[in-house]
Amino acid sequence: MRTKHVIAGVGVGLLVMAGPVRAHHAFSSEFDVKKPLTLKGTITKWEMINPHSWFHLEVKDPNGQVVEWMIEGGSPNSLIRQGVTKNSIPIGTEVTIEAYAAKDATNKAVGRNFILADGKRLFVGSQGSPGAPDSGPAAPGTQPLK
Amino acid sequence: MRHRAVASFGVLLVAIAVTVVATRSVAGQAPSPAKAAAAKKWTVPRTPDGQPDLQGFWTNSTYVPLERPNNVAKAIYTEQEFAAMIKDAAARETEQTEPGTIADVHYDFTQFGLDRSQSAFVKTLRTSLIVDPSNGKLPPLTAEGQKRAADRAAERRRMGATTDAVQNMPIGTRCLIMAGSGPPMMSAGYNSNYQIVQSPGYVMILVEMIHDARIIPLDGRAPLPENMRQWMGDSRGHWEGDTLVIETTNLNGKNPYRGSSEKMRITERLSRVDANTLGYQFTVDDPATWSTPFTAEAPMTKSVGPIFEHACHEGNYGVRNTLVGARLEEKKAAEGAAKKTSQ
Repeated sequence: MRTKHVIAGVGVGLLVMAGPVRAHHAFSSEFDVKKPLTLKGTITKWEMINPHSWFHLEVKDPNGQVVEWMIEGGSPNSLIRQGVTKNSIPIGTEVTIEAYAAKDATNKAVGRNFILADGKRLFVGSQGSPGAPDSGPAAPGTQPLK
Repeated sequence: MRHRAVASFGVLLVAIAVTVVATRSVAGQAPSPAKAAAAKKWTVPRTPDGQPDLQGFWTNSTYVPLERPNNVAKAIYTEQEFAAMIKDAAARETEQTEPGTIADVHYDFTQFGLDRSQSAFVKTLRTSLIVDPSNGKLPPLTAEGQKRAADRAAERRRMGATTDAVQNMPIGTRCLIMAGSGPPMMSAGYNSNYQIVQSPGYVMILVEMIHDARIIPLDGRAPLPENMRQWMGDSRGHWEGDTLVIETTNLNGKNPYRGSSEKMRITERLSRVDANTLGYQFTVDDPATWSTPFTAEAPMTKSVGPIFEHACHEGNYGVRNTLVGARLEEKKAAEGAAKKTSQ
């Protein structure tokens, strides 16, 4: 119990120190750093809800059984401003998701990276996205599509 | 004459330091003489009833910290230093952290539109939002302010971990109010968008995070009685020339700003600087917390509308997931301890 508190405290400390990592909640309380996973599956539903969107994914387990996973993603408000809508992510899109599993022992995880079959990242905004500066060079630090 | 020179210098400073961004401008580019002339010609638009028109969608998303970083001595960056600072800050947002570390348990912000560099953000050359005190830092805490900070820390320790009970979780996680909702209105980290709507006698500021509307009367009515306390306080506005001045008191103290007390008085000043810039300055006066008042400048730049609803409670699985996860971990730890004892 005590150890858990210390770990949670360190997690919050790191998040604060990291500065840019400012999000709605301390991810380290909800997800398990010791359980990184990579899921390959098909998107079946996107819950566009705040503070975090949730992507539903059908994943085949090693026995060939289809298992449903829920993946926590960024605020839909931010994604929509980047031009990402339900039309950009059709149901049935195949993705590989690098994630950390939830601590609540269900099939939930926080999605770090969503990678399409051709290796492209799914959501990275472009300079032409509605929320982005609409001219000039790429904003410094913006990662181009792979 | 000297006065005029100082005034011109002030205009220049505003053009260089406060201005911003405009969606058409190129990062790091100095304003051209043509642009400066255009800025001079620009006149403040008016609403049909003659008020300066502040309406529209604005963002205060910024890389400039409230307080000047310890390793920075100057108040204003050069263009080159500014470009380097932005590059460094944006790189930190995009970098992949070390897999398997606690800091890594989050999204890649570039993928989720949460890094600031992909959206409109305010580009000022200031090294801190705080302009007074001149060292860019919060003034020293009073003895009362220090004691309150210590008492609050002790209370948090007494309550236990943030995952012990929903009441222990930060109010932002619980979707009650975000730190940037204001006043003072501060960059929320992401979705830092505001919509201003004016009607005769009122100004309304809709805050995207997390869907709060500040309704500010301008008709000179009396403030609320002292015992009536609200999350965002009680605001009254008036015009000083083309500047909207908003005075706020009667905060309920449940969302303290940097350790403030319920006695905090905030004076905000909003004015149009140019077509793409809304000047925003605020002064915090809280003698129960800080030895002197302090003033910060956090200008806003044009954002893209509409303000999307941020119905944070409805989708807040995170609180449930966190609490259930913490209870399971406790159970596992207890079972592990019991096993050890029985061996």
